[in-house]
Amino acid sequence: MAPGKWVNEQVSSFWTRYLYFVGIRQQNDQLRVELDAAKQELAGLREYASEVERLRQLLSLTPPVDWTRLGARIISHRLGPNAALETFLIDKGSAHGVTVNAPVVSPDGVVGRVLRISPTAATILLITDPNSRIPVVSQKNRTQGVVKGEGPTKELTLQYVPQGAPIEEGEILVTSGLEEIFPKGLPVARITTVGRSGSSLFQLINAQPLFSPRQLEEVGLLFRTTSLQPAGAAAPAPTQPVSPVVTPAPLPARSAKGLKSPAAIPPAPGQGAPLPPPPPAPAPQPAPAAAKPAEAVKKRDAAKPDAAKPEAEKKRRKPARTEGQ
Amino acid sequence: MRPAHIVFWVCVTFGGVWLQNLVPGVDFLAPGLILAMQEERWPVSVWLAFIWLFIHEGTGSMPFGAGILWYGALAGIYFFGHWLFEARNFLFMFILGASLGSMHFLLINLMALLQDWSLPMDRLLIECAQQTLIFPIEWGLLYLIHHNLPDNPHAA
Repeated sequence: MAPGKWVNEQVSSFWTRYLYFVGIRQQNDQLRVELDAAKQELAGLREYASEVERLRQLLSLTPPVDWTRLGARIISHRLGPNAALETFLIDKGSAHGVTVNAPVVSPDGVVGRVLRISPTAATILLITDPNSRIPVVSQKNRTQGVVKGEGPTKELTLQYVPQGAPIEEGEILVTSGLEEIFPKGLPVARITTVGRSGSSLFQLINAQPLFSPRQLEEVGLLFRTTSLQPAGAAAPAPTQPVSPVVTPAPLPARSAKGLKSPAAIPPAPGQGAPLPPPPPAPAPQPAPAAAKPAEAVKKRDAAKPDAAKPEAEKKRRKPARTEGQ
Repeated sequence: MRPAHIVFWVCVTFGGVWLQNLVPGVDFLAPGLILAMQEERWPVSVWLAFIWLFIHEGTGSMPFGAGILWYGALAGIYFFGHWLFEARNFLFMFILGASLGSMHFLLINLMALLQDWSLPMDRLLIECAQQTLIFPIEWGLLYLIHHNLPDNPHAA
């Protein structure tokens, strides 16, 4: 009987272990599936946490007074044979209030400006493009110059800095706001080298942009909110993007050329001081005065001093030159 | 059009856009257009050119019209060249690639001149060389794949 019992125990033990291992195998397979799902979820959460961190940094960017911001996602970098400029595409367009020349910034500093728009996308011209020029001022020594892009993977150059002007390596260049596109004080680049040329009147200065174009995923767009609005008008909510009332001129020369002097602007209908009584028409030439009464009114308005106009009218016509200067 | 061909051209489109993102300044869809003109009926080529033209115009930074000039000149060079050469000859494709590279240089410079833009010339020359070399190689690969599609009469 003993051998029979021994055989019975061995067989039952073997069977029990077999069933146990089958259970372990099934449990192992199930745990592997759960581990894969957990790994996938962890990767997604890490990506989500990274995005939250980037968006938090973007939100930490405080727009200057009278400016508001709008976040945008980069959907494409330079792409295709027609991509001659250093640009990228964002997922916000004219339907979201984006306008041409709107400043584009990252948490590190200025990225570029809007080059062209479509209803749902916009092309951004980077500051590293050779066609990009931004007037800047050094943060410490307040030396002015113009930052020019030199192409991809190349440093920016700071132009038109006189030989004797104080400027240091490592100094941060910030926007001066003279071009009326960027608000004053946004960081643009860090000076890397300062050199001199014997024949040139200006220093040879290189600067490194503060952002990495290939690592950018989200950017912020800045918009003017209250400039050029009539006095007394309610300012829009700071969180809502608002289109600029007037598209800023790209060049100061063009801007100055296009501006009219206050005396040359005729008052709007229903605004301005009441007209003085018309002077008596000269007797020898009655026909021209009677034929062009509107011109006579315009001439009177042009000769009228500004003090007679209401304060609100003056503010409305004041150009946005005070912004960022 | 047969289903395998539809899948093939969809893959060419997506793969081309992905490669253009990896190598900016090079047209990875142009070899597909030449292959379509060689192997498919003309409406297929026209539709593909129409779709790819919009991709180029939308993603590029040039004013509208550069893509039309680009593909128009490519089709013109192909029609002119296939009277002189065997249309499926690799040498002809290399000449076509060299023409495309030269055309990229001329077209970009012309557009930059009209827009008063300045461009980094070294980068432009590198793109031209890349376009010249990539075009015949990609055409050869696409030609082989297209001839081995399941429902292709040329398939082995």
